[in-house]
Amino acid sequence: MSTSCNLSGSLSWKVAGVLVPGLLLLSALPASADKIQRHFKVDARPVVTVHNPNGTITVRAWTKSEVMLIATRATDQVEVDAEQSGNRVDINTRQVSDSASPESTRADYEISVPEDAELQIHDDSGGVNVSNVLGDMNVETIAADVDMADVAGYLTVKTVGGSFQCARCAGRLEVSSITGNFRLIDLRSTYVRAQTSEGNILFTGQFLPNSTYRLKNYNGVIEVRFSPEDSFDLSATSLKGKVHNEAKLVPPSHHHFLPRFGNGLFGSFNSGRAMVELSSFDGTINILKRN
Amino acid sequence: MARTRRTETGEVPEAVSIRLAQQGDAAAFERLYRLHSRRVYSLCLRMVGNTAEAEDLTQEAFLQLFRKIATFRGESAFSTWLHRLAVNVVLMKLRKKSGKETSLEQVTEPDEESGTPRRDFGAIDLRLSGSLDRVNLQRAVDQLPPGYKAAFILHDVQGYEHNEIAEMLGCSIGNSKSQLHKARMRLRDLLQEVVREKAREERRAAGGSED
Amino acid sequence: MSVANCSAFLEQLDQWMEGERSPAAVAHLRSCKACGNLIADLDSIRDTAPSLAATDPEPSERVWSALRAQLQDEGLIHAAHPGVSDILKRWLRGTFLVLPRPVLAGAYLAALIAVGFVLSGSNGLRNDSNLWMSRMQRSTQPLSASLETEEGAISSMADTNPVVTASLRKSLAAIDNDIALCEKSVREEPQNEFVRDYLYEAYQQKADLIAQVTEGDEGQ
Repeated sequence: MSTSCNLSGSLSWKVAGVLVPGLLLLSALPASADKIQRHFKVDARPVVTVHNPNGTITVRAWTKSEVMLIATRATDQVEVDAEQSGNRVDINTRQVSDSASPESTRADYEISVPEDAELQIHDDSGGVNVSNVLGDMNVETIAADVDMADVAGYLTVKTVGGSFQCARCAGRLEVSSITGNFRLIDLRSTYVRAQTSEGNILFTGQFLPNSTYRLKNYNGVIEVRFSPEDSFDLSATSLKGKVHNEAKLVPPSHHHFLPRFGNGLFGSFNSGRAMVELSSFDGTINILKRN
Repeated sequence: MARTRRTETGEVPEAVSIRLAQQGDAAAFERLYRLHSRRVYSLCLRMVGNTAEAEDLTQEAFLQLFRKIATFRGESAFSTWLHRLAVNVVLMKLRKKSGKETSLEQVTEPDEESGTPRRDFGAIDLRLSGSLDRVNLQRAVDQLPPGYKAAFILHDVQGYEHNEIAEMLGCSIGNSKSQLHKARMRLRDLLQEVVREKAREERRAAGGSED
Repeated sequence: MSVANCSAFLEQLDQWMEGERSPAAVAHLRSCKACGNLIADLDSIRDTAPSLAATDPEPSERVWSALRAQLQDEGLIHAAHPGVSDILKRWLRGTFLVLPRPVLAGAYLAALIAVGFVLSGSNGLRNDSNLWMSRMQRSTQPLSASLETEEGAISSMADTNPVVTASLRKSLAAIDNDIALCEKSVREEPQNEFVRDYLYEAYQQKADLIAQVTEGDEGQ
């Protein structure tokens, strides 16, 4: 851990920027990609922000008290700013020319952070991969897919068209999209809210006791796969679509149609220790046994 | 636990207000503001020494807090989190004002780094005893560099513990202790100057020569 | 540990102030007036410090007023149990009022406020399906027109990256499809609050999408 008490900018790194004469040579890059590596000493619970319009962002946890950035940029049409302000590291991709093609402005980042880091990531297209980080996360993308594994904290993910996959995520998860599909696998989260307009939502894994799962879409399929050991209260409604159910609910709930609710199911499976709410406007809801 | 810290305002516990604020409840935001604004404002005021600026900084610190309140999960005390934001906001302000980096390590005199007095300790210093009052102390605190000042205000004035301060300042507990120690030593230097000046005035008033 | 002189004592001064007092340090302090004075002064400073807090002033009321206004503008606070009109206000504040494109925001705002008025209408209005339907149809007509204008605006704002543009177009079409389906359902079942909620959320998603695109565009 750093012994410094610095709270404001102590390191500033501008690649190919005019502010760092020693690095000016990098501005005369060939058309091929170049790779740069930087290290930032941080204390406990650092904040790392990444803004990258085009390219992949891969974040992994490691045991060092530092943030390491490996940036690969396609050409010198794009600049990478990485600055440290106290316990915060800001990584920002800037396009040098408005007329540059998307291929030439791509920047890919591999970032290693302490496991308790808080992440704020913005990526229009490319992809975001995060693994083993336990701090809070806020991820926003347009077309970029988001893939998380073994993460925790308060996770907020918002995509326009990107898909979202989360395996073994813990903490609290809120994900929303318009056309993105979601795959939620073996979650350890105690609160899950997932909403996509036109995408599919797949949930497979145990419904944890005292946890809440709210899955919603307008069209598409919502599919949850439960095991006989699970215990949950279920509410599943599709106003205009179908509901298929393999869970034996108590009190017995028959597939029925009510004018206000459309097709709906309400009841408890086993002792009802988790709360599962599935709702769709015009989509199909499948509640299936897990193999 | 800070010696003057309150945990509740009226009948609504802080934890309840936080939960309601996380749901966007306007009254809960106001309760949290009323509960903590005085201490945050005092911290800002002592750090920048100007009421208008201190109010702006207080507003900014709370704004940052409320923007992020949904992510608060109670791992550290709410006030610790708030003060951490406030300190950050103040230091950013000072940095903008000075046009250079301002960090908690910043000191006015490099040879103070060790925290030991510079003077020959063979000479016996004047005792502060009768000259130390709130007004003199406040004037001296105003002259401290930012890092010392923050540690002193948070620990000796507001009563936070070193582990809390370390979290607020983003540094180690050892650093917090070291900053506080340096702050007290510097204050003693500043206050002794007041004692000497007072002695000089008394001599002038008595018609004696100046030293 | 031995404290043979003042320098050695001073090395341990911070520990002393933290209450760690070795016998050697205690012995030195008994025999050294300079160090005794120093400790007495540091103790006085520490003991006087809390009195500063006793006179801590309150910030002026201006601070809370300005803060509250900003929180409202950013859509962070609402009344304890918001009605539809509160939600609409919050949503509009949180998205359109901060948009730097008054033409786009203005067209959309006009239509949405009309819809919001209908959605938040009195119970009597809600229960009168004919009246409700009539209001709803009147209000959604201008909305449809403004949405078309908006689609063009989004396209022109969109990133030069074709992947991003395609994603935005696809999502915009998806939301518009949802809105069309929901509007149709609302006209068919004006009393069904679930249908109205879906419609309302679809509007909100559209608003969020526009805000996101606009913010992204501003940031570049």
